[in-house]
Amino acid sequence: MPERVLLCIGTKKGLFVAEAPKARRSFALRGPFGSGVAVYAALIDRRRTPRLYASSCNAFFGMKVLFSIDLGKKFKETKSAPAFPKDDGRALANIWSLEPGDDTKDLWCGVEPASLFRSSDGGDSWEMVPGISNHEHARKWHPGNGGLCMHTILRDGSRVHLGISTGGHYLSEDGGRTFKASNRGVGAGFVPDPFPEFGQCVHKISGHPDAPGRLYMQNHGGWPDRPGIGVLRSDDHGHTWRSISKGLPSDFGFPIVVHPHDPDTVYVVPLETPMRTCPGGAPAVWRSEDGGGSWKRLARGLPKKESFFTVQRDAMDIDELPTPALYFGTTTGQLWMGRDGGEEWNCLFDSLPPIHCVKVAVV
Amino acid sequence: MTITIHVPAALRAGCGGAAELFVSAPSVRAALEQIERNHPSLYRGVCDETGRVRRHVNLFVNRSDVRDREGLDTVLVAGDVITILPAVSGG
Repeated sequence: MPERVLLCIGTKKGLFVAEAPKARRSFALRGPFGSGVAVYAALIDRRRTPRLYASSCNAFFGMKVLFSIDLGKKFKETKSAPAFPKDDGRALANIWSLEPGDDTKDLWCGVEPASLFRSSDGGDSWEMVPGISNHEHARKWHPGNGGLCMHTILRDGSRVHLGISTGGHYLSEDGGRTFKASNRGVGAGFVPDPFPEFGQCVHKISGHPDAPGRLYMQNHGGWPDRPGIGVLRSDDHGHTWRSISKGLPSDFGFPIVVHPHDPDTVYVVPLETPMRTCPGGAPAVWRSEDGGGSWKRLARGLPKKESFFTVQRDAMDIDELPTPALYFGTTTGQLWMGRDGGEEWNCLFDSLPPIHCVKVAVV
Repeated sequence: MTITIHVPAALRAGCGGAAELFVSAPSVRAALEQIERNHPSLYRGVCDETGRVRRHVNLFVNRSDVRDREGLDTVLVAGDVITILPAVSGG
């Protein structure tokens, strides 16, 4: 039986692991692991004895993948990190996403410049997935402010959804062999064509296993001349998208998270541009319980003013307990927990390095 | 013709903990090729997969940054010392 809540917190200065009994009254922190080196991706892999993975993106000496088999008490490096073929011309700049594959040792990894890699041996060796990495569009994608990153890998049977900033949403319906841009209804405010075939600055995509055709997307919104393109929903496996941003104070933001027991309940963190912080310096998570039809502001316990942080694309997650808690990390190094689905917030840690990613699991 | 390579502490795990390596090579590029063959993990810390020296890594031959000489084609002579150092950057 799962006994504890485990958080992996990827920061600008390494990985931290926090652990609490299921009551979540108090979290014990350990780390940093890979100290001094940025961590943009983490995975708590529960397909067998839990195994933690994290990217370690060293601006000096290159990329590594870390793993732990003791719930984050110690980490080692896998035997290799993803690398482009020598004659490819591209060089790995960052690791943005780590997701489990089918078999217990299969891993999928999204990187910068936007490409996809797979490992069949728990991260010791990697192969580039040519269907997307060498897609005819790949050399036409452009980096956003965070880099040209493949940040989302969502798998649903033979379907694979990828989120690329800036590249858009790509869909495979043959298990990842081939991909097509699938951005009908996904807008862009930074090119003349408001709805291009590809090249959108998708920030994050999420879904729910109980509603496999349903997807939610946080796209790069916040465009006064092209309102409503920031928060989107698809009901046909990502073939078409429609706006669900009505009722939000801003359609710009980064993370988008779905409730573990209810595919109609979805969370975003609206940010105002150009600050990319919560409107009025008053942080809040917004929740919809009707699939984006309406939204409610959740801020009890969060600062009411003078708080100017960003919540990055992978820095919010939700646990799977019967009454789940939301967690988000900030660029100012705070880790917040929102009990009862975000109804009541308290700060677990307030002086970590800037937080890039937060992953939670009950193990 | 012996060339000494000084390895920074942060990269020594890639060469069994050695602080110095010794190669025989007529150029910096040839020295790096030997590192790639014998210590691939160390090589990956110095060069990316295209073969370029990483942006925040500096290679010195004696006291000269190879970027100020002929880059990877900088000629080596017996007794030269290559020093691998992380650049001054970060935040």
